[in-house]
Amino acid sequence: MLDSIFNIDNGYLEGLVRGFKNGILKQTDYLNLVQCETLDDLKLHLQSTDYGNFLANEASPLQVSVIDDKLRDKLVTEFQHMRNHAVEPLGTFLDYITYGYMIDNIVLLITGALHQRPISELMPKCHPLGTFEQIEAINVASTSSELYNAVLVDTPLADFFGECVSEQDLDELNIEIIRNTLYKAYLESFYSYCKSLGGITAEVMCEILAFEADRRAFIITLNSFGTELTNEDRKKLYPQCGKLYPDGLAALARADDAENVKQVAEFYTEYRALFEGAGNNPGEKTLEDKFFEHEVKLNINAFLHQFHFGVFYAYLKLKEQECRNIVWIAECIAQKHRAKIDNYIPIL
Amino acid sequence: MGSLFRSEEMALCQLFLQSESAYTCVSELGELGLVQFRDLNPDVNAFQRKFVNEVRRCDEMERKLRYLEREIRKDGIPVLDTGENPEAPMPREMIDLEVKFEKLENELKEVNSNAEALKRNYLELTELKHILKKTQVFFDEAMYPPNLPYDQDVYFDDEERVNLLTDSSLHQLKHIGFVAGVILRERIPAFERMLWRACRGNVFLRQAEMDDPLEDPASGEQVYKSVFIIFFQGDHLKMRVKKICEGFRATMYPCPEAPADRREMAMGVKTRLDDLNTVLSQTQDHRHRVLVSAARNIRAWMMKVWKIKSIYHTLNMFNLDVIQNGLIAECWIPVANLEDVQLALRRGTEKSGSLPAILNRLSTHEAPPTFHRTNKFTKAFQTLIDSYGVATYREINPAPYTIITFPFLFAVMFGDVGHGIIMALFGGWMVWREKPLAAKKTDNEIWNIFFGGRYIILLMGLFSMYTGLIYNDIFSKSMNLFGSSWHGVYDESTIEHNKELILDPGNREQYSQTPYPFGLDPMWQLSTNKINFYNSYKMKISIIFGIIHMMFGVILSVWNHRFFDRSMNIYCEFIPQVLFLTCLFVYMVFLVFHKWVWYGALGTVSQSSSCAPSILITFINMVLVKGYQDHEGEDCSPYMFAGQFGIQRFLLIVALLCVPWMLCVKPFLLHRNNKRRQLVTQANGGEGMVEEGGEAAAAAAAAAVTEELHDMGEVMIHQGIHTIEYVLGSVSHTASYLRLWALSLAHAQLSEVLWSMVLQIGLTSGGEGGSGGIVMYLIFAFWAFLTVAILVLMEGLSAFLHTLRLHWVEFQSKFYGGTGYPFVPFAFETILDQAENAVVEQ
Repeated sequence: MLDSIFNIDNGYLEGLVRGFKNGILKQTDYLNLVQCETLDDLKLHLQSTDYGNFLANEASPLQVSVIDDKLRDKLVTEFQHMRNHAVEPLGTFLDYITYGYMIDNIVLLITGALHQRPISELMPKCHPLGTFEQIEAINVASTSSELYNAVLVDTPLADFFGECVSEQDLDELNIEIIRNTLYKAYLESFYSYCKSLGGITAEVMCEILAFEADRRAFIITLNSFGTELTNEDRKKLYPQCGKLYPDGLAALARADDAENVKQVAEFYTEYRALFEGAGNNPGEKTLEDKFFEHEVKLNINAFLHQFHFGVFYAYLKLKEQECRNIVWIAECIAQKHRAKIDNYIPIL
Repeated sequence: MGSLFRSEEMALCQLFLQSESAYTCVSELGELGLVQFRDLNPDVNAFQRKFVNEVRRCDEMERKLRYLEREIRKDGIPVLDTGENPEAPMPREMIDLEVKFEKLENELKEVNSNAEALKRNYLELTELKHILKKTQVFFDEAMYPPNLPYDQDVYFDDEERVNLLTDSSLHQLKHIGFVAGVILRERIPAFERMLWRACRGNVFLRQAEMDDPLEDPASGEQVYKSVFIIFFQGDHLKMRVKKICEGFRATMYPCPEAPADRREMAMGVKTRLDDLNTVLSQTQDHRHRVLVSAARNIRAWMMKVWKIKSIYHTLNMFNLDVIQNGLIAECWIPVANLEDVQLALRRGTEKSGSLPAILNRLSTHEAPPTFHRTNKFTKAFQTLIDSYGVATYREINPAPYTIITFPFLFAVMFGDVGHGIIMALFGGWMVWREKPLAAKKTDNEIWNIFFGGRYIILLMGLFSMYTGLIYNDIFSKSMNLFGSSWHGVYDESTIEHNKELILDPGNREQYSQTPYPFGLDPMWQLSTNKINFYNSYKMKISIIFGIIHMMFGVILSVWNHRFFDRSMNIYCEFIPQVLFLTCLFVYMVFLVFHKWVWYGALGTVSQSSSCAPSILITFINMVLVKGYQDHEGEDCSPYMFAGQFGIQRFLLIVALLCVPWMLCVKPFLLHRNNKRRQLVTQANGGEGMVEEGGEAAAAAAAAAVTEELHDMGEVMIHQGIHTIEYVLGSVSHTASYLRLWALSLAHAQLSEVLWSMVLQIGLTSGGEGGSGGIVMYLIFAFWAFLTVAILVLMEGLSAFLHTLRLHWVEFQSKFYGGTGYPFVPFAFETILDQAENAVVEQ
């Protein structure tokens, strides 16, 4: 892609997203937020930031869930505005971002259906970016091939589903496998799409997606210990677009406990730093948080380049992290459990 | 001196307010709008301030009022804006208000939820009614197959299913279960596809569109829906179909199989619908009544809440006085208004009946804010200046001069009576309809800019008409008002046979020797050397105006130097600056006038126009100190007057001397003063050492010395920049004023092109039987549109921007600092305006 003509189609949106990014809360904002005594204080402080009056129309005893919903609504509105103004190939790129949410929604609904929960109760929990027309009829399916043939065949996810079509009934393990297979196919497809776009987009996005793939590989491995998932099956779930591919993934497939995983990470400088100093003891950051921090760093770096689509992805992820942070702080305030209030992931 | 000449004198005051009367006092000050409070707790978070609870209560009230307003707007009830301005209510009234709003909100919410339930009921019944009606048609078709072959129907293209239904009798239908329901119309295709896939094509769907839109009870929007009926066999399929229906949010209704039952049910539905209608209209009436009564007061309520909120915001900026149980505020007040503020405070304390508030003037080294008291006329001009930079406290304000120079310089570039009239009429209309137009609040930025600058536009239009008369230009044509001074003396055959003829200004028969009384002679319009003449004239005019303008700016700086007691600047900056400008550029202006007066068509040879030397060349040679050989015997002299060379050389030397004068004298004087002061302090310090034997004084003196050295370097650099800027600036700024000529030329040429290329076509198209009239009609519209769009709007904008630049850069750089900050008083008026604009934007 020629940089000089990037702005013809995408200049407005890039400007917009960079403007949005400047509205992301700064460290000083967080310092003020953690000092809040009640959720109303929180609301008052958020009013002075870019969030503005997004909570102004809510009645006074605020709930954390309301804050969560409103934060998400705001983000979704922004994203959809960008999607509506996007020109190809940015449109496809933004659509790709939403597929991840679709996968999560499908898994959520199927799991809910397994536990006999009504769809109408589950729908509000679904991420609005990942809805599609047929989503509510998902509980028609009882096997994965039915799921594919009846529901997903019309959706963009159909391409990713090829590997998990089987006549087995849907149960917990199956669903997890479906989720991870879907996600693997999705990540690899997204990765190759970004590669095909070329230029700085490929440079930035492949870095981020490679990390995402490796993170999934690590987490799948760590979570699989003590379950009935065999090492062979596990290997099939690893997305093969990360830096771990192929040697690291092979080593991970052989891993039997957390120590082995750590040894694999030793070979990769950026992951070694994450595994060191991570732990569950008080005062230490969990591995999950470490991963989040690294992700934030990558996303921030995306904004250092110009003329590429990575900023849209990075913005969405940063904003999501920010929402998680605010909700975390709000939860801590609401439950009067201030000891862990500083465990948010700082951005910038 | 008027207040526009300099900004108002400000005083920093400290206010001691009793906690009981603080609210009322601030309220009075808000009505007055002449006090700028300083935030005394900048480090305290918004939610840790004292009156945060009150602010929060106001937010809550505002939220309720917004809810009310939304509902009012939804019902299309007009909100009365009486223009009344209620006072901020007392704090105790706040509770009443809160109770009132709470009650209203609850009432409305209840009514709404009732209405919603009723509407949902109504919706269900209507849907059922439609289902019964439409399914009747389906069943009828099935039982009595019409003559039309079914395979024409899209839904019957499958051979198998055609048989299924065409053979169907009531008997067969009984084996087949069916589900009837209603679904959003846009979901039909996906729904159908899904059904087909999930049931492997073993169901049969028929659907019919409902013609009338239905109201969605939750959102109140109108939605289009379709009735569908699905036939299937067996319970397994039934489960699936039901699941899919639920998944697509289709509402299913029981539909009896027997026709008689259906008919009965339809009757029942109809009566229930009628009942519901009456109940629904009653609820609507009730809601309407509540809203109408709220609409009457909502403006006033909003204003009250905004006022309370702003008062508490202000109180949050105050310091708590623990000992006396009061509040301490710091504020800037214009000295001229101290009395008014005292009066307002007295009113405030009287209202609350507590001890009086105390107002103390503080002395401070802080720079006070800049406050220009403007009216609606001067405001726009002040805004032009402020957008470059707010004046430093009490320095000369360029705004009053801008009122005249701005439209004038604009008009020099925009000189055309016709375009000026259009502009003046537009500005005049805005001024004339000022009040009704101002009352109409819009967020249309372009309109707001035009309306804000209505007086500027009016003046620009009027001045353009004046310069247009001087240029004798109206839509690029000239008017012969007084009769031209030139007369053609050629007979008809000469005129017919020659393309160009020359008129001799020296000949009394051809030129009457008295110039055209006002403006340019219309004869120039016809001449081929019109452009040459105009260029020479307009270029000279631009330079003359430019130098007068700049000189005026330099002279204004004296008032600044004298006011701020910087007499050194007068001797070290002002005088050399004036000398420099005079010796070079004022002299050039003198040459221009001399050339105009001295040379002409009549008179001796040495005064003839052919002898006139070029001013540009003369000026360049003056700077290069190049002399001419005065040839004996030749009548034409390269000099305009005797001794010109000597005078020029003298002027040049003076101008050049001014440069080191500007550059060095001031730093030198500063340096000397400092040294003297140091000697004095050192002497004192020496005594101190003798007396006290302390080393502190010596250290302080040493520190002062290094600081001086550091300072001196800075002063030198600063002075250097200043001088270079001025010297280079006077050359480039003078050249910059040539834009007056360039834009004026461009404007005249463009309007001439438009006339000759567009309107002339219309004027010359004769045509048989009035067809020329039609052509003219169309072409005139085109011409008029281009005139307004290009010549008035675009050219006007470009001339405006150039004028702005001439003022900001060429004029103001001579004296204006513009490093102040504006005075933003706490005034209800502006706060309400802002809040209302925010509402309008929503």
